[in-house]
Amino acid sequence: MEFEPIKEEPMTSVERVMTAMSLKEPDRVPVWPLIDFLPAHYMDITAQEMVEDPDKSQYAYEWIYHKLGGYDISMVGGGMCMMYMNPFPDFFSAYYVDWRLPGRMLGVNESPQLMEKSLANPILTENDYDRIIDEGLLWLANFKRAGIGDLIKKPKIAAKVEEYTIKWWTHYKVPTFTDGAMIIPFDLLSVFRGSTNFMKDIYRYPDKIKAVSDFLIDNLIAMGEYSLSKTKGKTILVGAVRGSADFVSIKHFEELFWPYFKKAVTRYVNDGFIVQLHMDTSWTDRLHYLLELPKGKIYMHMDERTDIFKAKEILGDHMCIQGNLKPSLFTLGTPAMVEKQTKEIIDKCAEGGGLFVGSEIPDNAKLENLKAMIDTCKTYGVYRK
Amino acid sequence: MSSKDSLFQSVVEIEEDKAYELVKQLVEDGVDPKEIIEILSKAVEVIGEKFSKKEYFLTELVMAGEIFQHSAKILEPALKKDKIKVESKGVVVVGTVKGDVHDIGKNIFVTLLQSAGFEVHDLGVDIPPQDFVEKVKETNADVVGYSGLLTVALETMKETIGALKAEGLRDKVKIIIGGLPIDELWMKESGADAFTDNAFEGVKIVKEWLKEG
Repeated sequence: MEFEPIKEEPMTSVERVMTAMSLKEPDRVPVWPLIDFLPAHYMDITAQEMVEDPDKSQYAYEWIYHKLGGYDISMVGGGMCMMYMNPFPDFFSAYYVDWRLPGRMLGVNESPQLMEKSLANPILTENDYDRIIDEGLLWLANFKRAGIGDLIKKPKIAAKVEEYTIKWWTHYKVPTFTDGAMIIPFDLLSVFRGSTNFMKDIYRYPDKIKAVSDFLIDNLIAMGEYSLSKTKGKTILVGAVRGSADFVSIKHFEELFWPYFKKAVTRYVNDGFIVQLHMDTSWTDRLHYLLELPKGKIYMHMDERTDIFKAKEILGDHMCIQGNLKPSLFTLGTPAMVEKQTKEIIDKCAEGGGLFVGSEIPDNAKLENLKAMIDTCKTYGVYRK
Repeated sequence: MSSKDSLFQSVVEIEEDKAYELVKQLVEDGVDPKEIIEILSKAVEVIGEKFSKKEYFLTELVMAGEIFQHSAKILEPALKKDKIKVESKGVVVVGTVKGDVHDIGKNIFVTLLQSAGFEVHDLGVDIPPQDFVEKVKETNADVVGYSGLLTVALETMKETIGALKAEGLRDKVKIIIGGLPIDELWMKESGADAFTDNAFEGVKIVKEWLKEG
């Protein structure tokens, strides 16, 4: 099917995004709805197909991109399959972590959920910290987990993802984000142990967590680059959740989280990747640590638990930011509410560049609400020279 | 400092091993186990206050719950021996609604309720509306608490309330919902009586309700 062409603007999305990331003002504020399974809600493609079929998921992403009149960053078809099938221990790898995937242990149109066994039967026991130092983590892989054994036989996914990545960057001139992903040992161990168990470990075995983190960090950084090496992707997501103010004190953050996070991010920037920080939950009281990361090279997504206005104040001259729009607004809110909040962010954060507008988008979001955000960025978000 | 004060102090400071030693010692010294439980509850409450003031974080709340529960186990034989029954302050049924399996917040809410003296029935995660209904009937619950993190949870929260209404139970219970994305808009849509994104504040709300009743 042919799509309606997107209306031309002074800059391409690639130019716009790169300009904003280098902390200069582009033609207008870039807008990125972080879309996962939304297309499955509106077209004849299932969530399962969006995970497992690169062609169909690419079609779905192109469809929604055109349906909404174009925006500035996209996911790539097959990207999710690469993530869930990552053969190395990572947050998204269904070989290591108990992901319930659509059409497997969930309905075909339900979005993936992490089954975190927070109390009973965690993937790692408290005795396994020593074992990791002896044997690494690969022994944790379970290729039968979640009934996904057949997925590994899917042919040529990486080649497809590469083809579609190039299509977005060169044909549509839209950058793809989340080409690869990594999380630091602290977050990975928390998922493997179950967050509640891990919080107890922080008090009971801080030295072991530190020793295992020292042992794992370089390997995890290298593993994060693995999928990029297969698809020639340019962007890597470094995720962070459990080191935030919603979980741990500054003391624990400083000892067990920050040194490793800083090392990973700095390494990726130095290796020439575009780094996207995906910071879930509340980071407001520890934003100033991010000033230790390379300047003008990084984009950071925050959810609404972190104060974006504070982030602009602290990090405005240092990195590109996005946040403050609550995902549920796109399901429960109205276009007028979305427009008002989008304008407020533009008013307070757009000056000097370094801003994307956007949010994670629920799978059942209303399209008119998304359109309101996108159109407001295209009109109200124009930088006047 | 007396051993009782030391116990209080060690719990507030999250000195786990020391707290257990002191609980054992106080039992040996013949202190009424009910009094020990009161000291522990008070200490947990102080930890909760520190949490609200952002001096403490979730990790400390989890440890508070752990210390309370483990101490209660140490006290069990003494409570049984003296046939002491700790009076329940009310019955609460808790679970993560159908379609959602997130349970970090729910688990902490459960331990904090227990440490505050409530009888808690934790149904677990991905709980269909009918299971809430059955449990409320069976336990004659005063409060129902359900949580969710995903936006789909809103739909199942509505279904859960619908199921309680259909059985004529809605007016017999107070309903509190919890989860990071939940706000005023969400609560109104769901038909609940209160919402929170903070387990400790949630317990305060429950306490307030049952004080009135």
